[in-house]
Amino acid sequence: MKDKRPLTIIGILIVVLAIAVVPFMVDTEASFIVYFLFMTFCYITISQAWNLVGGYTGQMSMGQHAFFGLGAYTTGIIWLHNLTHTGYYFDPVTMILSGLVPVVLAIMIGIPLLSRLRGDYFALGTLGMGQIIQVIFVKGGKFTGASDGLHLPSTIYSSMRPYYWTGLILAIVSTALVYFMTQSRIGLALRAIREDETAAASHGVHVLGYKIFALGVSAFLCGLCGSLYGIYLFHINPDSVIKLDWTLYPILMCVIGGTGSVLGPIIGALFMTAVFNLADIYLVGISPIFAGILIVIVMKFMPGGLVGLTEKMAFARRKKTA
Amino acid sequence: MFALLSVQLIIQLLINGILFGAIYGIAAIGLSLIFGTMRIIFLAQGTIIILFAYTCFWLFNLLGIDPYLSLVIVIPMAALLGVAIYASLFTEAAANEDRNISLLIAIGIMFFLENLMTVLWTGNPRSITTPYTSFVVRFAGIGIPFTRFTGFIMALLAAGVVVLFLKKTFIGTAVRAASEDIVSATLMGISPHRVNAVAFAIGIGLAGIAGVDMATIYPFDPFYGFIFVLRGMVALAIGGIGSVEGALLGGIILGLIESLSSFFVPGGWTDAIVYLVFLIVLMWRPEGLLVRSVKKA
Amino acid sequence: MENNALVVKGVDVLYGDVQALWDVSLEVKQGTIVSLVGANGAGKSTLLKTISGINRARKGEILFSGKSVTHLKPQEVVDIGISHVPEGRRLFASLTVLENLKLGAYPPRARAVFGESLTKAFDLFPVLKSRQNQKAGSLSGGEQQMLAIGRAMMSQPTILMLDEPSLGLSPILVKTMFDLVASLNKQGVTMLLVEQNVRQALKIANHAYVLKNGRIVMNGGGEELLADPEVQKAYIGERWRKK
Repeated sequence: MKDKRPLTIIGILIVVLAIAVVPFMVDTEASFIVYFLFMTFCYITISQAWNLVGGYTGQMSMGQHAFFGLGAYTTGIIWLHNLTHTGYYFDPVTMILSGLVPVVLAIMIGIPLLSRLRGDYFALGTLGMGQIIQVIFVKGGKFTGASDGLHLPSTIYSSMRPYYWTGLILAIVSTALVYFMTQSRIGLALRAIREDETAAASHGVHVLGYKIFALGVSAFLCGLCGSLYGIYLFHINPDSVIKLDWTLYPILMCVIGGTGSVLGPIIGALFMTAVFNLADIYLVGISPIFAGILIVIVMKFMPGGLVGLTEKMAFARRKKTA
Repeated sequence: MFALLSVQLIIQLLINGILFGAIYGIAAIGLSLIFGTMRIIFLAQGTIIILFAYTCFWLFNLLGIDPYLSLVIVIPMAALLGVAIYASLFTEAAANEDRNISLLIAIGIMFFLENLMTVLWTGNPRSITTPYTSFVVRFAGIGIPFTRFTGFIMALLAAGVVVLFLKKTFIGTAVRAASEDIVSATLMGISPHRVNAVAFAIGIGLAGIAGVDMATIYPFDPFYGFIFVLRGMVALAIGGIGSVEGALLGGIILGLIESLSSFFVPGGWTDAIVYLVFLIVLMWRPEGLLVRSVKKA
Repeated sequence: MENNALVVKGVDVLYGDVQALWDVSLEVKQGTIVSLVGANGAGKSTLLKTISGINRARKGEILFSGKSVTHLKPQEVVDIGISHVPEGRRLFASLTVLENLKLGAYPPRARAVFGESLTKAFDLFPVLKSRQNQKAGSLSGGEQQMLAIGRAMMSQPTILMLDEPSLGLSPILVKTMFDLVASLNKQGVTMLLVEQNVRQALKIANHAYVLKNGRIVMNGGGEELLADPEVQKAYIGERWRKK
């Protein structure tokens, strides 16, 4: 069993490399695969972000869309007012700032919400927060473009490739970040909090601190992705970036894929993006209905997700040979 | 703005708030019952209310059935739907006590219904027009739309029936007992599934009534359901879980808050104010402002 | 003659991965009082909850009148005649005394004789009659215990299981409680009593079991165990030995 790790790492590198070179092998602008993978990368990023808070720490946050939207708007505002004076479109500084602004919100909101609310009350609180953020952006006047939103100059668009690779980097970064955090003592603390907060606290775990930390990292990742998506869309408005879909779909993906590992959200994102795109082709306009049906079916029959299912199968196989 | 302020105006605002708030109230009662027995936050409640608003709409436009008469069809239909939803989707979740799962199932239902209704009936707002929908009772300069008034009375009646059911019937008492302590209730021989099914039947039944109310009062579209259920949760948060009267009162108070704030703080900030109130109540008094604490025995 | 004994055979109970009961066996003969004593956390409540169906036995059998009741749900267990008054009573505080009693008679066969049972309950506990419309949460500790037992009796049980009925009661009320248990038994109710008040519990028991760390470590007649020096040392203490 110890031999497996180098092989797994090599395997992962090969897969990543393969994915990275795809844009060289197809016509990036017209290719469906490139679009599909780009969306998948975005969903993976947000799903890993949610998984950190919801899956590992057990805090069912339903406010990702607010962080995502904040990231998009921050990018839009920075660009339009030329705040960073760098002139690049894919400016890392802008992106990181777009990631940090949601973190500020996460901390501001997180302290009252996380300290007082548990479980589904917390979920409700984050929903409420998301709604408030939506209203604020709609009412933001010239600064945020009101309900029409912000328009970025689309003349800058040259190719899909930078989006694709940035998306890939985000997906890798988010997966790696969550992976290493959960393997470390932080992850242990988070899981302890999920299982039994009082017990964790009595062992010296600073429960509130860790929760806010998880929420903050989650917000950061969502903000980064929002920034990327905002640049992709050119038109940043509340309806497209602060919609509940951006919270629900990642939760759905985590849940379908399995919340117990970093692999789950990846599988879930791949699977769900495929389902949605196929549904859009063959059953136009019906894809969101599938989201609903799928959530219900998965929660009823496979609360452990696809990863959980394969674990169960492996366990059953082991039992037979024992 | 303040120059226009007058006693009449204030009273008008108050009345508007109270009348509409009663609908939030019955949504909240449904949420309260389901939460009380199963600890499930049934986020699909609002969308189901819209579903029944559509039902009322189509019954009227296709079959010419008067909205208020349609209640005879809608209420039993809704109650049965409630039992069906519980039996098919929530039996394991109720037993398992994993509330996140049941929350997600409810969201899944909401998502499914919202989009289904959009596909079937488009996202355009609908409303019902009958000879009496524009009728307004006026006195002393104050106008009370007929349908809002009837809607209010219906809500009060519905709440009254539920209270009577819970207090006077045997199964109603069992529901109250199960809401307080489900384990102890099973030790009495009470079957959790029966109690839960009753809670769902009443909850969705109330959604049916609210849907008919909605259809006659206000234009609705498939996505309004989510907003509505959040309002229901706010009403519940204000009024406290565990009391039908509290939920109704919470709804009315919410209606007042909305009515007053949309006048005094114009420009669409009402939503934000409502959610702010929600967050505040959620954090500082989750058991509600109106519920007196019950001693544990 | 129907053998209404309750028989527990080789029962294992786990909470998740933690084993709470190991191979527990006991027998309650019809018409007797059986006491189950032991320290806090020994597993006494767990056993009662397993019998009444709240917990599941991982292994073993529970038989009532020879029929297996091992995997019945709590509402089914009440139906067949085993009533459980849980630790801490768990009354419905927001419901009135009368409503609590009514719910006690929930099973159909109990509901049929509700009127009679209610009169008997009020005869037995006059204070409940006078407070029948008060919320259960407003009663005193002793009154609540009476309501809890009265409520359980409303279900017409063959076997009544009481989990620490003397908990939280003043010494006078404790004595009243045990007198009540003895008198109910004389009226034909078989009793399975779980108690930390070892001395009183052993005194009234026909038969008794000692549970330690999830295992039955001793069993015998009530008086017999009471006189046993080990039991006295572990559970009763020096002062009582002479009494």
